[in-house]
Amino acid sequence: MSKHLVIQLARFGDIVQTKRLILSLQAQGEVHLCVDRSLQELACLVYPGLVVHGLPAHGCTGDEVFSSGHTVLEALRAERFDTVYALNHAGLCRAVAALFDPAVVRGYRVDSGQVLRSNWVRLAFRWMADRGAAPLNLVDFWAALAPAMIPGDQVNPPARPGGAGLGVVLSGRNPRRSLPPDYLAPVVHAVFERLGASRMVLLGASADRPAARRLLTALPSSLASAAVDLTGRTDWAGLADALTGLDALLSPDTGTAHLAAHLGVPVEGLFCSSAWAWETGPYGTGHRIWQTVAHCAPCVESSPCSRGAACRKAFTSPAFLARFQGRGSGAASRPLDGLIPLASGFDLLGQIWTPREGTDPFARRRAVLRGQLAEYLGLGIAGADSDAVNLLYREADWMLPQALP
Amino acid sequence: MNTPLRILVVLPLYGGSLPIGRYCAQALREMGHLVEEFDAPAFQQAHVALRGLRVSVERLSQLETAFLNTLSQAVYAKAETFAPDLVLALAQAPLGRQTLRRLRADGVPTAMWFVEDYALFTYWRSFAPLYDFFFVIQKDPFLGLLRDIGVENACYLPLAALPSFHQPLDLTAAERARYGADLAFLGAGYPNRRAAFRTLAGRNFKIWGSDWDGDAILAPLVQQGGARISPEDSVRVYNATRINLNLHSSVRADTAVSGGDFVNPRTFEIACMGAFQLIDKRSLLDELFRVDESVCAGTGAPAPDAELAVFSDWDGLERGLSYYLVHPEEREAMARRARARVLAEHSYERRMSSMLDFIQLRRAGWPAPRATADWPQDIPAGLRAELAALLQRLGLPPQAAFVDVVTRLRQESGVLGSLETSLLFLDEWRKQYGSSGS
Repeated sequence: MSKHLVIQLARFGDIVQTKRLILSLQAQGEVHLCVDRSLQELACLVYPGLVVHGLPAHGCTGDEVFSSGHTVLEALRAERFDTVYALNHAGLCRAVAALFDPAVVRGYRVDSGQVLRSNWVRLAFRWMADRGAAPLNLVDFWAALAPAMIPGDQVNPPARPGGAGLGVVLSGRNPRRSLPPDYLAPVVHAVFERLGASRMVLLGASADRPAARRLLTALPSSLASAAVDLTGRTDWAGLADALTGLDALLSPDTGTAHLAAHLGVPVEGLFCSSAWAWETGPYGTGHRIWQTVAHCAPCVESSPCSRGAACRKAFTSPAFLARFQGRGSGAASRPLDGLIPLASGFDLLGQIWTPREGTDPFARRRAVLRGQLAEYLGLGIAGADSDAVNLLYREADWMLPQALP
Repeated sequence: MNTPLRILVVLPLYGGSLPIGRYCAQALREMGHLVEEFDAPAFQQAHVALRGLRVSVERLSQLETAFLNTLSQAVYAKAETFAPDLVLALAQAPLGRQTLRRLRADGVPTAMWFVEDYALFTYWRSFAPLYDFFFVIQKDPFLGLLRDIGVENACYLPLAALPSFHQPLDLTAAERARYGADLAFLGAGYPNRRAAFRTLAGRNFKIWGSDWDGDAILAPLVQQGGARISPEDSVRVYNATRINLNLHSSVRADTAVSGGDFVNPRTFEIACMGAFQLIDKRSLLDELFRVDESVCAGTGAPAPDAELAVFSDWDGLERGLSYYLVHPEEREAMARRARARVLAEHSYERRMSSMLDFIQLRRAGWPAPRATADWPQDIPAGLRAELAALLQRLGLPPQAAFVDVVTRLRQESGVLGSLETSLLFLDEWRKQYGSSGS
């Protein structure tokens, strides 16, 4: 039986989003996963059949990183993997990849000290130059490094309401991608009423507790009394327990939303600023994203926003709130401004998002790029659009030896 | 096409299309054309050095782009100097998009022989429309897809063999022991081959070529430590082997016989050597050879005029091995017929001839007449005989133009004789003084 290692040293959400790759590899052999030790418990929870190796990194001392890290790396070396998938651009991942024969490494490999990228990763860097038209979800991008992918709709269960009320995630990794409590409160109110829920859980880290308090203050007392504030109070197992069976999870682009999708909980995603459904929307069917589509979207979160993150204002419009409240006239019949609702689904390549109202401004371009990528992966025939070809391919692709798939 | 042409063959830096490019150049020379090769492999070491710099991936990418720009400009400079009637590029040739546009603007015809699987190497879309002629080893849907993106002059041109190189050898006993076996495969360790060949591990089986490492079952079968095999040694291996296994590559490991369309160069080369092969079924194979599956399908003896024995699955291969190993006379007869077919129809000379005919048919006024300084009027009889011998030695036809002879002489290395030097001196004299001498 073949043996494969996936090195995923990024964050919480990335570990969950590696699922299609891991399941695809499990269809072929034994799979090991190497993660940051602080996320090892989570990885074991999401992938119960996997051997998970935890490397000391986040929150560790240099002594721990060196001595405990050496033990883990020695164990990895002894496993003699047939293929190694090094998924992250970050130096930590590339350092671990150096442990293996470059010929068996996919993604980022190190050959005689030189970092090299798989062809597929090189292509991704090119299409990321056109982020609006992002042709592929991150889950599908990583999965395509495997020799054969399992179908996308077999990755997560179809999302269905479970009767356990509403979950609310207070913030994403970047404040610009999260709604302030006074913006969030009317949305929570509207979703709670539409679900006819009797219970609500607030989820987040310890740092989100002040925001949770502000949200509860901004909610009607009848709603606030139905809320259980779990911010900063859950470990990974506790978070999974809190999510299990929810009717819906209201969340920005977060790892918790990906965990919810893994558990089959419907996600109502509030995506603004740099969050882009087509890149990192929750994976599976039954999810909905409310995606802002300002002319500057998706922005680069490391660059300052000259508009004061004004895209978030779209979530305060009566027309948006009325969509949840189910009113048949008035605001609900007015068009949404700067926002489109997207429903999740699948095609041959993987996850797609279809507008339920309004227009995806990049739909045509995205379709062309997806066609080209499907052809590259042997899953279809591309159209005759030369712009997409020129975006994706460079002369080095065919003139220079590129040993990696 | 009887007119001697000047053809610039642009070789790739690496890969399977490199020897094919060299065979094309040799065939064109044997046809009497004046050939200049752009020897991209000579630059390969520079790329290896770039890859060894240990710089960021972004910086490496920039350097590789700059390196390729330099190569592409070198091809353009070569075309400028050589003034070819045709630039023929092989798949992976370092002929950039910008250079292709410049050559088109200059009126220099360009052709590519894309000897790759279009479904696997999808980047053909990026450059195919920039070539004036595009030759491929697959038919539809590829030809239709090429038309869709505006490639009007696409043409199916299957692979071939070079009879002056892929020939039967009289091997010594020592060579037979070294290179021979009941069964052998020469090629790279693609997933379908790796998976399938494990079942043959108990036989007198040798595997030649690279990318076979990491498999404990196959390891004892792999020859020369999995090193790449030179074209010269490949001829020895094929000649010395009783049954050459020819299994087309596939990236899929779940089925040994991929059932694709195009026919690989190995098929023609083994046949041309008069060696025997068992080959997996391909949809384009039976229009190139008379194939027979009776033995492998278990339905009887091979047809008396069969040229190639084919199998459709692994059981068929096993049946074929058992049968042909103990029927040497049938192996030899089939191999003899296959060789005759290649010599008659599937040589690189035939392919190059088809290519040039196609171009002539599609491009009005090609090849353009060249304004060339002619030979001196009164060449003494003795010198004329010496000149004829020189042309023969240079591989040029007796009617070769003066300018072509001069170009060919400039390709010679070492000290030249007095006749050669006289010709070069005359050429320089004409450049300096014109034909009148004043």
